[in-house]
Amino acid sequence: MAELPLDGVRVLDLSHVFAGPTCTRILAELGADVIKVEARQRLDISRILIMTDNDTADQPWNRTCYFAVHNAGKRGITLDLTAEQGRGLFSRLIPHCDVLVESFTPRVMKAFELEYETVRQLKPDIIMLSMSGYGQTGPYRDWSAYGMGLEPASGISAATGYRGGPPIRTGMSFTDPLTGVLAAGAVLAALRYRQRTGRGQFIDLSQQEGAMALMGTALMDYQMNGRLAERMGNRSSWAAPQGCYRCRGDDDWLVISVENDEEWAAFCRATGHPEWAGDERFADVLARHENHDALDVLIEGWTREQDHYEAFHLLQRAGVKAAPVLNGKELLLDPHFRERHRFDLVDHPVVGRRPVPRHLVARFDRFEPRVDVAAPLLGQHNREVLQGMLGLSDEELASLEAEGVIGSEPVLDLPEGLTFEMLRDVIRELFRIPLEKMQEMGAVQAVEPDYRQQLGLDEPAGGS
Amino acid sequence: MTDAALSDLRVVDLSQGVAGPYCTKLLADYGAKVIKIEPPGGDVSRRLGPFPQDLPHPEKSGLFLHLNTNKKSVTLDVATASGVVILKKLLARADVLVESCPPGRMDGWGIGYEQLREGFPQLIYASITSFGQTGPYRDYRANSLVSMAMSSIMYATGEPDREPLATGCEPADFFAGLQAFVGILAALAYRQRNGGGQHVDVSLVESVAAADEYNAAMYAYQGAIRRRYYSRHVFGYPMDILPSQDGYVVVIPGAQGFPVPLAEQGASPMALLLEDLELDQNPLFHTFQERWVRWRELDDLILPWLATHPSRQIVETAQELRMPFALVPTAADLLEDEHLAERDFFVEMEHPGGVKLRHPGAPLRMSETPLRSGPAPTLGQDNEAVLGEVGYNLEDLGILRDRGVI
Repeated sequence: MAELPLDGVRVLDLSHVFAGPTCTRILAELGADVIKVEARQRLDISRILIMTDNDTADQPWNRTCYFAVHNAGKRGITLDLTAEQGRGLFSRLIPHCDVLVESFTPRVMKAFELEYETVRQLKPDIIMLSMSGYGQTGPYRDWSAYGMGLEPASGISAATGYRGGPPIRTGMSFTDPLTGVLAAGAVLAALRYRQRTGRGQFIDLSQQEGAMALMGTALMDYQMNGRLAERMGNRSSWAAPQGCYRCRGDDDWLVISVENDEEWAAFCRATGHPEWAGDERFADVLARHENHDALDVLIEGWTREQDHYEAFHLLQRAGVKAAPVLNGKELLLDPHFRERHRFDLVDHPVVGRRPVPRHLVARFDRFEPRVDVAAPLLGQHNREVLQGMLGLSDEELASLEAEGVIGSEPVLDLPEGLTFEMLRDVIRELFRIPLEKMQEMGAVQAVEPDYRQQLGLDEPAGGS
Repeated sequence: MTDAALSDLRVVDLSQGVAGPYCTKLLADYGAKVIKIEPPGGDVSRRLGPFPQDLPHPEKSGLFLHLNTNKKSVTLDVATASGVVILKKLLARADVLVESCPPGRMDGWGIGYEQLREGFPQLIYASITSFGQTGPYRDYRANSLVSMAMSSIMYATGEPDREPLATGCEPADFFAGLQAFVGILAALAYRQRNGGGQHVDVSLVESVAAADEYNAAMYAYQGAIRRRYYSRHVFGYPMDILPSQDGYVVVIPGAQGFPVPLAEQGASPMALLLEDLELDQNPLFHTFQERWVRWRELDDLILPWLATHPSRQIVETAQELRMPFALVPTAADLLEDEHLAERDFFVEMEHPGGVKLRHPGAPLRMSETPLRSGPAPTLGQDNEAVLGEVGYNLEDLGILRDRGVI
C-alpha cells in the first residue's frame, strides 16, 4: 500500500459535530492517526443525531449516521476532562501528538487548564488549532455557535433567498465544511513550517471570519457603490436565463444557466425551440434579463415534459450549463460520482456495511486519500491508546472505568432512583425522527425500506 | 519581519476566474511566491465587477482585487510557442502549477500534465475544473448553481412548495479553491516524504457535494430522502432565521434551551428569554418531535416576542443564557461590527487610482507565521522583474510585447 502524506502524524481531536470533525477527517484520509476524545459525560452531540434505521434500541450513541459519516477513519477514546485524572491522562497524551484540534468556546479550554501556553510546555512543537465560532478574542469570543448560526453570521444568508423574500439559511450547516477544509489546510501549512523550522504554533480560526471570503464581492460592491446584495433566488447578475425549473416527475428539477448569446442559440436549438432565438424579447443578454419572467414560463413549459437527468445530458452536450437537482439518494447513485469514488464502503460493528463520503475531494495519481475503518464506538480505543501509548495496566484501566473517567457507555445525569434501564423506552422515543409525519408534511420525499438493495450494500465487498 | 508558513514555495498560476485564484490567494497569503500568468488581455475576473460607480476598469474590479492579493502578475500568451518556452523557464523554478482550463485544453498547448511530468518530475500540477479529469461528465461544464444542484444541498434548501434554492454568494468556487489548496499541500507533504510531483485533480461539483452534511447519509442509513422544508434541520425546531423588531435573528435554542428530558433544572433558557416561565409547562417545550411537527403553534409562542425586541438584544440575552443565537448581518453590518473591528479583521488596501478598500482579512491567525496582506497586482506589473530572473532583458521583452506574447 502506498504511503500517505501524513503517515506518522498524530492528531488529538477534541472537536465535535461537523466543522472540526471535517478538518480531522481530512487529516485521517491523508494518513494521520486521529484520536478523537469524548467524555462519557459529554458525548459529541452528533452521537444522538439521526439513528440508523431510525432505531434507537441498541447502543443508540453508536448508531447515528451523522457521527458515522464525519468520524470514519478515526480512533476514539473517552476521557472526562472535568476530572483531574482525566486531564492528567490527556496531558500525558499530548507529548505523543503533533496536532491538537478543538472547537469549543475559549472558556472551555481555559476551564480544562489546556490553553496553548500550557499545552506547549508539554510538547513545545505542537500545532494547536482552536476553531471556535467567533475566535479567541473580541467581544463575541464567548458566544456559543452552531454551524446553522455561522452561515448567517458571516453574511451569506442576507444574500440568500427567493426574490423579494426574507433571508434563508442553506438547509444544512453550510459554513462548517468550508471552515473544516480551511482548518485542514492551516494544519498542513503549519506542519510544513514545522518540518522546515522545528517550530509549532497556535492557530486561532474564527469560523465566522473563515467563511467571509465568500463575501468579497458583496463587501466590495457596498464600499464602491453603497449597494447591498439583493436576494435573487436562483438568478445571476450576469447569466440569463438562469434558474431552477420543474421537470416531469414528482419533485424533479433542473437548473439551467445561459451565459451568452452563443449558449442561448445552443439552448434554443437543443430544446427544439428555434423560434425563441428569433424572439426580440430575448435577443441579447440585457433583453433576457429584462424579460426573464416571460422566459421562465416558456422554459418551464419545456422542462415539465423532460426527465431531469435526460435534459441535463441533452443541454450539456449542446454546450449549455445545466444540472439535475439531486437528492441524497441520487447523490449516492450518480454514475459520475460513483466512478470518482465519492463514497467508500466501510464495515461498522453496530450498523453494518455503509457508505461514508470522502471529505477531501482532491484526487492524486500517486496515492489515494481514503478511510477504511468505520467511525469509532464510544471509547472503542481506550485500551489500545491508554495502554499502547501510556502503558497503563489492566488494573489502572479498570479503576479509571469504575470512577467514570473512561468507559464505553454514556453517563447520564439522572434524578435519584432512576436507572438507564428504566428509561430505555423514553430514550428510544427521544431520539427518533418523526419520519412518517415529516413525509406527510413534505419534509421527507420518501422512505424506501429496500434502500440497502438499491445501494447494493449487501453485495460482497469490493469497492463502492 | 516574521516568517510565513509557505515562504519557501514557488507557484506558477495559470488559473482565472474565482476557484483557482482563491486557491492561489491562499497560497500567496500564506507566504508562497505566486506568479500569476495572465493572458495579455488579463484574467477574466478583471472584466467582472463590481467596479466603482459601475465603470468597468481592468484595475478596479472588486472581485479581482479580492482574489489576487499578494501575487505577482506576468502577462504571457501560453497559446503561443514562445509563451510555452517562457512558461517552461518559470516552471523550472516552481514547485506548483495551478490551472483551471477545461480538461484537454492544456494538452492542446503542449503543457498538459503528461507532457510536463517528464521534464518537471518534481512539479505539483493542480487542475481545477467543473467535473474533474475523469468520469462520464468530464467534458460538461459547471458553475456555482450547477454545483449546488448536484450536491443534494440545494434540494434540501428552500420552501417546501417552491423550487429548490441555491445558496447566495456563488459559493462553489470557494469550496473548490479550498479543496485545491489542501490537495496541493497534501501533494507537497507526499513529495517531502517520497519525492516526486503529481497531478492534483479537483472539481467544483465534488467540492460542494463533499459539503453534504447528511442528505446522502439519511438515505444510506435510513432509506429516507430528505426534502427542503424551510431550510430546517431534521433534528430540531426552531433553528431558523426569524423576523425580529428591526430585522432578522437566528433562533437556535441548542442542546439546553428547552427543558432537558430526565434532568432536574430550573426554568429553561427559552422560557427565561421569552419572559414567560409558564411555557415550561407547555407540551411543545418537551419533545423535539412535537416542536418539529407542530412548529406553527410553537411560532405562535415565539414570534410575537421576537417581533417586539431588537435583534442585538435578543442575541445578547440568548447568549447570556448559553443559547447559540446569531445575528444576520449584511455586508454593511459586517463592516461596522464591533467584534470584527476589535479583531482587526478587515484590512484596508490602496489600489490604483486611489481606490481604498477594506478587504476581508486573514481567515485564521497563526501565532508564528501570520498570513500576509498585500494588494493585488496590476496587469503585467512584474513582467520585467520575473522574466528578468529567467534571462529576458528589456530588449527581449520589447520584442515579445510587439508579438503579443506578453
